[in-house]
Amino acid sequence: MLFRMWIATVVLTTTLAMGVTASAQELSKYPDWKGAWARFAIRGLGGQPSFDQTKPWGRGQEAPLTPEYQAVFEASLADQAKGGQGNFIDHSARCLPAGMPLSMVAFLPLEFAITPDATYVLITGADHLRRIFTDARNWPEEIEPSYQGYSIGKWIDEDGDGVYDVLEVETRGPFKGPRAFDATGLPLHFDNQSVFKERIYRDKTDPKILHDEITVFDHALTRPWVVDKKYVRTPNPRPRWTENNCMESNNLVAVGKEMYAISADGYLMPVKKDQPPPDIRYFKKYDR
Amino acid sequence: MFERSLIAAIAVVLALGATTAEIRAWDDSKYPDLKGQWVRAPGGGARYDWSKPAGRGQEAPLTAEYQAVYEATIADQAQGGQGGDPTYRCLPPGMPRVMHVYAPMEIVVTAETTHILIEHIHDSRRIHTDGRVWPQDMDENPMFSGYSIGKWVDTDGDGKFDVLEVETRGIKNPRTYDPTGIPFHADGRTVVKERFYLDKNNPNLLHLELTTIDNALTRPWSVVKHFQRVITNKPIWWREDVCVENNVHVVIGEQNYFLSTDGLLMPARKDQPPPDLKYFNQTRR
Repeated sequence: MLFRMWIATVVLTTTLAMGVTASAQELSKYPDWKGAWARFAIRGLGGQPSFDQTKPWGRGQEAPLTPEYQAVFEASLADQAKGGQGNFIDHSARCLPAGMPLSMVAFLPLEFAITPDATYVLITGADHLRRIFTDARNWPEEIEPSYQGYSIGKWIDEDGDGVYDVLEVETRGPFKGPRAFDATGLPLHFDNQSVFKERIYRDKTDPKILHDEITVFDHALTRPWVVDKKYVRTPNPRPRWTENNCMESNNLVAVGKEMYAISADGYLMPVKKDQPPPDIRYFKKYDR
Repeated sequence: MFERSLIAAIAVVLALGATTAEIRAWDDSKYPDLKGQWVRAPGGGARYDWSKPAGRGQEAPLTAEYQAVYEATIADQAQGGQGGDPTYRCLPPGMPRVMHVYAPMEIVVTAETTHILIEHIHDSRRIHTDGRVWPQDMDENPMFSGYSIGKWVDTDGDGKFDVLEVETRGIKNPRTYDPTGIPFHADGRTVVKERFYLDKNNPNLLHLELTTIDNALTRPWSVVKHFQRVITNKPIWWREDVCVENNVHVVIGEQNYFLSTDGLLMPARKDQPPPDLKYFNQTRR
């Protein structure tokens, strides 16, 4: 009796072990990045979200800009001081996507959906999503310009435990732009030839933290700019995802190259001192 | 000795069983293959009922009150207006109109969520399959895509899910069924029910049975949409679609204007006066 039980146990153990192995290979190779990942905010920094989270936005970033693009940046700041949007007008006034890398700032929490063929970064706002292809595809001969770029990734098992822990990503353009690192209009080069390299991984000691080490290669910079963006998993296991539609609540209006505001009572109004009204020559024809 | 071995073996069996159960909580082989790129099957279009022509041809079962709203919309569009259709402002089409699938669709199935990804305005949706309940405040905080809760069903008992049943509530206005402006009730109480399933004979054909329940209708309005998978041996390119990028509409207050090719404001309808520039006159003082 005992011997039969022993045989049965061995058979069952072997069967389960085979099943577990197969399942582990198929199902548990990828890390758990489920949930909503909010921006890691450092108390006391102030201002709008920044590219380098450890420093304040704008000049506080101490961005390694070339002299030419430092001048572009200063012009953007000067325009914003007078009521304009500077180099940020396309995103703020026209609701165009921010594009890489600002799309990874997590104004609202990000979601990472992992499949064997691709990892999807779902972004709430004008930047819809990024696709990071992990299906071993080659770089296409031609890449159509986009705000998010074309991303190819590769999973790495750094500690050899059978579970991937790092997603290495390269993102190439050409990009659409102009793009900025933050809302001050801290500029990337207008040639839109940026390249981004990322390493995305869970923190080894605090699993609530997700790192995205981003290296920016851009002709507006004197050197590659490396930052470690961190995200914090929100505690709700069933996150409540919201919508953010820029056009719904935007009180800025772009007419050609000029930006105006919509007053609380629904009229066009200037955003800068002495800003002239828009040219309405095409309406005059109907007054005749 | 033998008994100790048996006890140890049983302990191993129990441990492995528990591990297996945990791992098999997400087994993608149980789900239909919905990978790839899906586009409208022939006959599909920017209308709710693909079996009928657009506009009045849809024969929408509107109440008398909302048929009048629709007629007013058609009249406004005939004069150059947009009627009730908000998408000219690059506001999302919302549910159920996003399922016209204005751009190629990707369906990403995970254990907790089925993502419908469509690059057009803000047409992507999440269908939650994680057992959540309806949020208590969704009527106070509606979304254009609504709140969708889904359930996978194995209708033929073969151990593999074949139907995704979805209910969507908490859908935000303004919305219309199509570009002609077939309206929803202003009370924002629309409920949409869906059944997604692959064709039994053609795994590259996806069916969507869609039923809208709305107080502007005399009865639930049910339609069937069909999507076909793009067959290619090349990596799929997903084109970014940015509505605002080339949008020539400029909304100031309640009025819509156009942007001319030389970047100036122009009227959107005959005899439309220019915007009131009273706040600019003040800065000249």
